[in-house]
Amino acid sequence: MGCLEMTTIVDKGELKSRNSMIATYLVIGGAVIAVMMIFGVLMLLAQGGVLDLSPAAFYQFLTIHGTGMIGAAALAAVGLMWYFLRDYVELSKKVFTWNLILFLIALVMIIVGVFSFEYASAWTFLYPLPALSAGAWGIIGALLYLGGMLVLGTGFLLLYIDTGRAIIRKYGSLGKGLGWDVISGKKDVKDAPPATVIASTMVTIVNTTAIVAGAVVLIMNVINVINPAFTFDPLLAKNLTYAFGHIFANAIIYMGVIVVYEILPRYTNRKWAVNKSFLIAWTMSTAFTLVIYTHHMLMDSVMPKWMLIMGQALSYANGIPVLVVTAYGALMIVYKSGIKWDMASGLAFLSMFGWSVGVVPAIVDATIVVNHVMHNTKWVPGHFHMYMGLGAVVMLFAFMYYLAKVDSNLKPNGLDKLAFVCYTLAMISISAQFLVSGAISTPRRWATHFPEWMGPALFGAIAGVFLVIATSIFITHFIRYIIVRNKTGSDFYERKLA
Amino acid sequence: MKKTGFAFVLYILMIISPIRNFIESIMIAHMLIQLPLLIFVGWLIGHFIVEKFHSLFNSWNINGVPGMIIVVFITMYWMIPRTLDEALTIGFMEVFKFTSLPVAGVILFDSWRRIGDLGKSFIFLNYLSMFGLMAWLYIDSPIQICNNYLTGQQRILGWGFLIITLAMALYTIQSVFTDHSEENVL
Ligand code: HEM
Ligand SMILES: [Cu+2]
Repeated sequence: MGCLEMTTIVDKGELKSRNSMIATYLVIGGAVIAVMMIFGVLMLLAQGGVLDLSPAAFYQFLTIHGTGMIGAAALAAVGLMWYFLRDYVELSKKVFTWNLILFLIALVMIIVGVFSFEYASAWTFLYPLPALSAGAWGIIGALLYLGGMLVLGTGFLLLYIDTGRAIIRKYGSLGKGLGWDVISGKKDVKDAPPATVIASTMVTIVNTTAIVAGAVVLIMNVINVINPAFTFDPLLAKNLTYAFGHIFANAIIYMGVIVVYEILPRYTNRKWAVNKSFLIAWTMSTAFTLVIYTHHMLMDSVMPKWMLIMGQALSYANGIPVLVVTAYGALMIVYKSGIKWDMASGLAFLSMFGWSVGVVPAIVDATIVVNHVMHNTKWVPGHFHMYMGLGAVVMLFAFMYYLAKVDSNLKPNGLDKLAFVCYTLAMISISAQFLVSGAISTPRRWATHFPEWMGPALFGAIAGVFLVIATSIFITHFIRYIIVRNKTGSDFYERKLA
Repeated sequence: MKKTGFAFVLYILMIISPIRNFIESIMIAHMLIQLPLLIFVGWLIGHFIVEKFHSLFNSWNINGVPGMIIVVFITMYWMIPRTLDEALTIGFMEVFKFTSLPVAGVILFDSWRRIGDLGKSFIFLNYLSMFGLMAWLYIDSPIQICNNYLTGQQRILGWGFLIITLAMALYTIQSVFTDHSEENVL
């Protein structure tokens, strides 16, 4: 088991508080995701012509759905990362708590901004839309939303400074956290940092960059909203906005994948082998993630050509290195291991499948030629719903079941298994529905659809209902775990699984 | 004591009319030389003052956070283009500038020791993005922002901010990627 036995025995009282903040992160993240799914269903019903939703309401829903999903998934993913990372480096519980507090403040600000003040720029708040809404919303709504995003960013920035410092303290530098000294041959492969540390280092690097860029463009928008006489270069604004949005959304899956690295070894009683290609893959994905936001600019012909070509070429390659080494590693570790499948291991495995399948439409779309046709169609949400909904979010649910299992005596039942099947089929249907819509040239972000575009949307809405039900079952199980644990305390921490 | 004396001389030099007028006639010198030097004056006398009013500082700035917030607000206030303008035309604002910034320097001296490593990194990264924004604002603005300075001056100031931002970014990158394993405490 090697590094798996790192956890020390701690007394019951400490145990109880050890995981309770993490459980809070996940329950809030999970609940927000479930509620946002309902808004997703309402949007599809409106696009399907069944629900009579005013365009203004549709765009408010779109804004809250996008913001809420990315924010909540990122929050839960941070909880997941923190749970495992703290076994290797020394993290600050105070910072972890502050991030949650700031998240909740931000959530309130954003909800009030969107629903009470009708702010609806979509979660990408692309300049100069926050200020120029043609009267759809006022200054207060925009300030609440932009301010909320700043508060959210502040919490995450504090958290990543903490992880960064902790990794540097233990391993010497962020480069060493990525295992560069092993890649260069200075250190032996068996002394390479654990996969969890590598992934956390990567996310620390890209998300700190993303948040710093995001802060610039958010405050810029604030200035422009308060005094529209101050105008800014829209192309630079777009670059910074997507540098923030793309990276921050992308990083969710790189935090989520830690659950795969940590639980499959525990289930199979084998070690997750960190080898040179694994290290190189993570370093490559770190670099690519930082630069490929340029694929959002493929339609901006004023961009330097080399940047667009780079954006295209690297988008093909972006997630691939990590995906390949992870999928390969997951198959190898499971192969002939006699693994006992349960909810956690099953979901972890499903997430690898969802991630793999989900990148295919992205690669198609990242081709400039195709992109000119597809970019603003529903093909795009098709891609990211698949890899978020069937990849990243599934990793979060896998972690919830894992935590409930090792930290209490609660057993999943037949209903949970049914929910697993239901979730898988429903999420595939929703993604497929978006892709079909894209293929028949349905534009994305349109409140109203022509009749010939309505079919897929309606189909998706029905699937969405099942998805909401399945998700609720997942979360109910997790809430039951929290209740059980509060009653009995926890003797189960780090139970042996294999 | 030597430091305090030096600070005193520096402060007097900056108040002397010809020098002051010269610095303030150039926008970039006003913003990026005069203002930081005023903070620096406060920093230099910080030791003396904090020693003297030890218990006072201990009572309200124990972890450095309240002090740091004040410093951020004072410095942000002076980064607003309009305040520079007013300092030139309204005598009272000029006095306020020459007092508030040294005060910020004193508080900065006290807070920086207390705030801890996490706080330091956080403040540093915040200024990094703030300076980046200032660079963008001053380089890109199509209008003349200040009554007292032409757009050409504005643009030079923007480039000054950009250079500072890039320097801070490079510093961050080198510091997180060079090896710290020799230092036990970070
Ligand atoms: C029941 C499940 C879901 C349904 C029914 C749903 C539905 C929708 C719909 C209808 C849109 C607008 C599409 C358009 O542009 O016309 C949308 C956008 C979006 N969804 Fe979902 N979604 C679901 C789950 C998720 C999940 C799990 C995530 C991520 C964690 C997510 C993230 C997003 C994002 C980021 C957007 C883009 C918003 C924008 O264009 O500004 N969704 N979704
Ligand atoms: Cu992207």
